[in-house]
Amino acid sequence: MRLIYLIILFWTTPVYADNAKPPLRFGLTAVVLTENLRLLDQWSQYLEDKLGRKVHFVQRKSYREVMDLLDSGSVEFAWICGFPYIQTREPESLKLLTVPVYRRAPRYHSYIIVHHNSPFQRFRDLKGRTFAFSDPDSNSGFLYPLVLITERRESPETFFRLSFFTFNHAETVQAVSEGVADGGAVDSYIWEYLAIHRPEITKKTRIIKKSPSFGFPPIVSRTGVDTDIVKQMKVVLEDMKNDTPGKAILAQLMLDGFGDYPDSLFNEIRAMANTIQRASPKYPHTSD
Amino acid sequence: MITDSRRMRIFNPRSWSLAIKISLTITTVVTAVGFMIGAVIVEQDWKNLKDELGEKAILLSESVAITASKAMLRKDYWSLYLSLKNMVARPGTKAGHEVITAMILDSEGKVQAHLNSANNPVGLLYSPKNLLDKNLFEQAMAARSSVVLNNGTFSKTGFQEGIVPLFSDQKYLGVVRVRLSVARLYEKANNTAFIVLTTIFCFVIIGSIMGTVISRRMVKPLTAVTRGLEAVGRGEMTDFSPVPVKELDEIGRLSVTFNKIMAELAEKKMLEEEVAMSEKLIALGRITAGVAHEVNNPLAGLLNCIDTLRKNPDDKQLIDRYLPVIDQGLHRIKEIVNNLLVGLKSDDIGETVCIKQIDKLRDLIVAEIGDKDIDIVWENHADCDLYIPGMIEQIACNLLKNAVEILPDGGTINFRMYQDDPYLIIEVSDNGPGIPSNIKNQLFDPFFTTKTNGTGLGLWIVYRQIQSMGGIIEVISEEGQGTTFYVAVPVITMRAV
Repeated sequence: MRLIYLIILFWTTPVYADNAKPPLRFGLTAVVLTENLRLLDQWSQYLEDKLGRKVHFVQRKSYREVMDLLDSGSVEFAWICGFPYIQTREPESLKLLTVPVYRRAPRYHSYIIVHHNSPFQRFRDLKGRTFAFSDPDSNSGFLYPLVLITERRESPETFFRLSFFTFNHAETVQAVSEGVADGGAVDSYIWEYLAIHRPEITKKTRIIKKSPSFGFPPIVSRTGVDTDIVKQMKVVLEDMKNDTPGKAILAQLMLDGFGDYPDSLFNEIRAMANTIQRASPKYPHTSD
Repeated sequence: MITDSRRMRIFNPRSWSLAIKISLTITTVVTAVGFMIGAVIVEQDWKNLKDELGEKAILLSESVAITASKAMLRKDYWSLYLSLKNMVARPGTKAGHEVITAMILDSEGKVQAHLNSANNPVGLLYSPKNLLDKNLFEQAMAARSSVVLNNGTFSKTGFQEGIVPLFSDQKYLGVVRVRLSVARLYEKANNTAFIVLTTIFCFVIIGSIMGTVISRRMVKPLTAVTRGLEAVGRGEMTDFSPVPVKELDEIGRLSVTFNKIMAELAEKKMLEEEVAMSEKLIALGRITAGVAHEVNNPLAGLLNCIDTLRKNPDDKQLIDRYLPVIDQGLHRIKEIVNNLLVGLKSDDIGETVCIKQIDKLRDLIVAEIGDKDIDIVWENHADCDLYIPGMIEQIACNLLKNAVEILPDGGTINFRMYQDDPYLIIEVSDNGPGIPSNIKNQLFDPFFTTKTNGTGLGLWIVYRQIQSMGGIIEVISEEGQGTTFYVAVPVITMRAV
């Protein structure tokens, strides 16, 4: 009889515990392609299978909103951009977990794009024109072109006739391809992804400037999350490249995998942020 | 080869057959009514489609306007553009319209979003492409409430533009303009018009065929009646074939009545012919009897005389006494035969004489009156140069002599002659004893006489002569009041040159 009780106890406990544990929440922005819901479902399922607990992807329009989710403890993990990552927070509320590896390196670029029929050849040709930034908290979609403008001792308001944020790299490409903006700044990873999946819009754009490489938008964990879980998540993500379902998801994400890289990977971004901060103190401080 | 008269008939609608006129009328009425209804349907359809399109344009503009005000205040040009694009030009929707253009302008007319951003840069003043566009731009900028504008053309290039002004806290921010093409509606309307017109065309053809059939059926008995009446006009009543009666409507009843009338006319005609024949036979019999009687009377006396003379061939006294009797008797027979010949040969009008000759009759009649106390009143109003058939003189003479014979002392004869074109009228009246009504009908019969010594051929000859000239004679008489003979003879054609 005791044996039966024990069996029932041991058999039901994991199930009970499984249901009782709150799901792990994963904040996402436009860095990855939020439109592809099936891919996110597959990925969350993969993570659930590996971690043995529910994983929810929480999507937000802007980096700011995802950062707010982290600050308020509404998510445990988030895929954010290098620019918000290097900004100073008191107290520090997030920690670098892992960095996606794209084309064999944890690095990417910012592309300055124009309409393929436009006469613009250099960034300076865009003076007095309209420009589409991706997100005010995006490195490739805002910080880098901001630096280019600042280097000319100008501000977006003086350099461009008019500028706006699309809050989505894909929509920046769309804005340029449809002539709403004369130029735009976009994540190279997203542009290349679109070049394969939506070539009709990237074909209408032309890259006139490619930035130096920057650390790829990292995955971070919120401070205060159980270190075991953080570790588990890191291992699971970095091991994705080692099993078939993980590889399939990575292939769809056009990533080689996730890797453990030091915080110094983002020093270029940090340097750019400092440049901007020096030029205009209204921009946030960086965490050196 | 069409003759001129036939061509004239073809081009003169008055001479067209009733069947053609009725079927043409039905066709015209069906066509006119059909096309009028068709025009109303097509016009209404087009108006409804256009109104619907206008409403759609407003609806789209309004749906854009819902989010546009906030986005404009934030200068969120991308959201403005997306709302415009997503609301107005959603790919894959079959809204039955085509967006020509859509834009959001600020209060100064600067482009905030435009479907064709490449040619209409964001942040710059909207530049109208032509005069019409400029006009519409000004109307749109002036609009402070939703309104539909259009270029008023019924063609593929026509459009309906929904204008919705944007307000925030009662401050005018700008305007949303969505311009929809009527091209698809134009096609739709054209298709509807084609279907309507085709249907009407079919109706017109069916109506024409029915009209032709109906009118032919209606007119057929009328044609038969007309032919029958034409036959009546020609006097051919006996070989008439009845009009077939299929319906009992007005035309059917007309046909029935016509058939009855025709049958009665045919019967009457036959009866008349029979009567005429028997009258002829009667007249012939009367003439024969008259001749026999009139000739027989003197013949009996003559034969007696001859018999007596044969018995006494040497009695000179007897010969002297009987020869004048025989002579008288033979003259009497000769007179009768001559008169008969005059009457029967009266078809020959004979010589013409000057009308003045008639006046000489007056002396003859005065001589005829002799010792009797009879007045004669003579009036001749006829044209003096007129030449008339000689027979007329004889007719007048006969009538005047009759009057002299019948009148007692103290009577009066009135003779009047005048012209009433184309007739010459002769009136002979007396105030004698009149004609008893029981013998009026026999007055012109041969051998009918009331006189003791008359042959009964005078008035018969008058009658035959007047008939041969195509004239008429009338008698008005009352017992104790006198008698008037009216004679009318057409003579104008005989005027001497």
